[in-house]
Amino acid sequence: MGRPTKVQPVRTGNSRRDFFKRSGAGTAALLAAPALLPMSAQAAVNTVFQHGVASGDPLSDRVILWTRVTPATAKPAVTVSYVIATDPALTQVVLRGSAKTNPGRDYTVKVDPAGLKPGTTYYYQFSAEGATSPVGRTKTLPTTGVTSLRMAVVSCSNHAFGYFNAYGRIAARADLDLVMHLGDYLYEYGAGQYGNVRTPEPAHEMVTLADYRLRHAQYKRDADSQAMHRQHPLVAIWDDHEITNDGWKDGAQNHQPGTEGDWNARVAAGLQAYYEWMPVRPVNVNKLRDNHRGFAYGDLADLLMLEERLSERSQQLTTATHVTPFGRGFATTDPGYGDPSRTLLGEAQEAWLVDRLRTTPARWKLLGQGVMFAQLKAPGANQATDPGLYFINGDQWDGYEPARNRLYAAIKGDATHAKVDNLVVLTGDIHSSWAADLHPNPYNPSVANGGYDKATGAGSLAVEFVGTSVSSPGVDTDTTGSIAGALRFYNPHFKYVQLTRRGYMLIDVNRDRVVGEWWYVDTVATPSNIETFATAFEVRHGENHLQASAQTPSRANPPLLAP
Amino acid sequence: MRHLIAIAVASFAATTVSTAQAADFALSGQISYHNDLAHIDFSVAAGNTVTLWTDSWQQGRNFDPTLALFSANGTLLAVNDDYFDDAFPDRTYAGAGGYDSGLTLGSLAAGSYRLVLGATFNAPVGTQLVQGFLYGSETPIALIDWNQPTYDMNTNDQKGGFWRLNLSGVEQAAVVPEPNRYAMLAAGLLSIALVVRRRQQKR
Repeated sequence: MGRPTKVQPVRTGNSRRDFFKRSGAGTAALLAAPALLPMSAQAAVNTVFQHGVASGDPLSDRVILWTRVTPATAKPAVTVSYVIATDPALTQVVLRGSAKTNPGRDYTVKVDPAGLKPGTTYYYQFSAEGATSPVGRTKTLPTTGVTSLRMAVVSCSNHAFGYFNAYGRIAARADLDLVMHLGDYLYEYGAGQYGNVRTPEPAHEMVTLADYRLRHAQYKRDADSQAMHRQHPLVAIWDDHEITNDGWKDGAQNHQPGTEGDWNARVAAGLQAYYEWMPVRPVNVNKLRDNHRGFAYGDLADLLMLEERLSERSQQLTTATHVTPFGRGFATTDPGYGDPSRTLLGEAQEAWLVDRLRTTPARWKLLGQGVMFAQLKAPGANQATDPGLYFINGDQWDGYEPARNRLYAAIKGDATHAKVDNLVVLTGDIHSSWAADLHPNPYNPSVANGGYDKATGAGSLAVEFVGTSVSSPGVDTDTTGSIAGALRFYNPHFKYVQLTRRGYMLIDVNRDRVVGEWWYVDTVATPSNIETFATAFEVRHGENHLQASAQTPSRANPPLLAP
Repeated sequence: MRHLIAIAVASFAATTVSTAQAADFALSGQISYHNDLAHIDFSVAAGNTVTLWTDSWQQGRNFDPTLALFSANGTLLAVNDDYFDDAFPDRTYAGAGGYDSGLTLGSLAAGSYRLVLGATFNAPVGTQLVQGFLYGSETPIALIDWNQPTYDMNTNDQKGGFWRLNLSGVEQAAVVPEPNRYAMLAAGLLSIALVVRRRQQKR
């Protein structure tokens, strides 16, 4: 094919030191430091800004800048100053400011400096308590003349399950406009409950505000996470694990009120820590559970970020009875399946989404959302007695069919509304890689009768790219791809299924097409700089279905990375 | 400096007060715009330790204050944004929260002083009161429309304009009426005088 399928690791300084730093051995070195190092060397260890810097939720004139201060002793208030410049050496200063933090916000700092120029790369640095932070790099959204958007899409970053090597690879890409995190940024489990490469802090499941804060702090001390945050603005939504597994409005699979207390109190604690520790701009401080929001990337793309867990989601179906090789599945005739009152988004968010889809002037509508939109069915385990196909994941849109069909109706248009073209759904959650054409019933092969043709893509209304996890496990036993192959056999709308690899998606958008590339790291069991390009699919303007694509070129002369 | 509603309430905390004895005062008021300033004059007798502090921040219900202390002739003596002092970590101020301000002054000469209370980071520009404050040249922004730089965007606090200042060890204290009010009063008197004079000229 003439394109590289394996990228050699970038050598950045002393790789062995880098290895020990990333592997957590630095903690031991720090503990030993007072006895072994002269005072000057000890002072060089940045304890005040040990959680790094981050930026996020860029707009055309502002972007959230984040850090966390760790004072030597507890203080009721800490003043933090910051500087924003257009060069990595911070000589071309465009803005200086001050802010404060205190123990009531866990010493986290979030500022939203306005007056920046659109489509511009900036470098920033905080100072407090006599120390300066690492220099961060960020970028505002463009407004006009936009021909290209290039971003990484990640999800499911589980510290306990392995190293965030994907974050490290993303940090090394200088030509990205932003990083989109589709949720499960952190996981709630205690030591050994879900992953044992690294030990979570605290060692028990996070339930209280103190627990959530400690866990966020641990994730923010990860070297690869710090590197990614330092180089790119983040646009993040949460999925379930930011609070706990398979959450919905009034509870979760992994929440036991008897031992873990009131659900609302737990959500409030988890969200308080989330807003403290994440570079996100609250949409409504009076309803922190709802963070759905849009980002206009000029007239090229509208990034529509959805909230699918805490504000309105109905409880998952509990009626799955049909035995499949993937556990118990459910059928369209099962109780609750056709209940139109069951919802993922709620009425207000659904109306907002439909309105944005219909009215945005942007060429592409990119939905950033948590759970798979495409149908996923598996056959009954005993085809002789149970020959049907059953939905196997009630937590994804399959469990909310009437709500999904309302969106399909909006996409199709009606007598008074035009059809919605160029919708690309971006999804995380499922720890594996999928590319799908989207159709209300892709199992009907007759296009003439409103169905979908898997050979030509005819009938498809939109497309979906599902990114694999940064580190959470997929179906890692599928080494031959036979399970993925079987799933594609039963689900004709999938063009690509890969269940075993960890990594990220690279989305490259121009006015003619959106390309989705899957990049995989070689391992998450140890720190590694090796990544591999796997495959790419694209959707062309006005076509609304996938076709094979190729790796897109990096941009020439990107702005310098932060030092 | 504009639109200061100086609802100054002086309350005597001490049960027995005479002019010869230092007293505890609590003064309060309301600011409406981000660059409003409250001026407080107080006097000190020799030998007293003077303590000045706010307790109105209340975890962000009201704005984050800064205190600037000037001598009678307008020379800057001390500025404090947050009462916590690395040099005196044990120093406490009753009722003060993390972003409240506090000053403890053990060596003030007898005489009168001017304290200026504003919203952080509206600090004095120079060493003299006449040099003004950092936000002084900005168009006033109503507090309700202003995100104070120290605010917590997750809770969207810092919208209240109430302030309260406690003074301990001073002889007397009072809020100085807003200078603009003198100006308006003078302008009003002048216009009345002009009208009167015109009427007199018409006769």
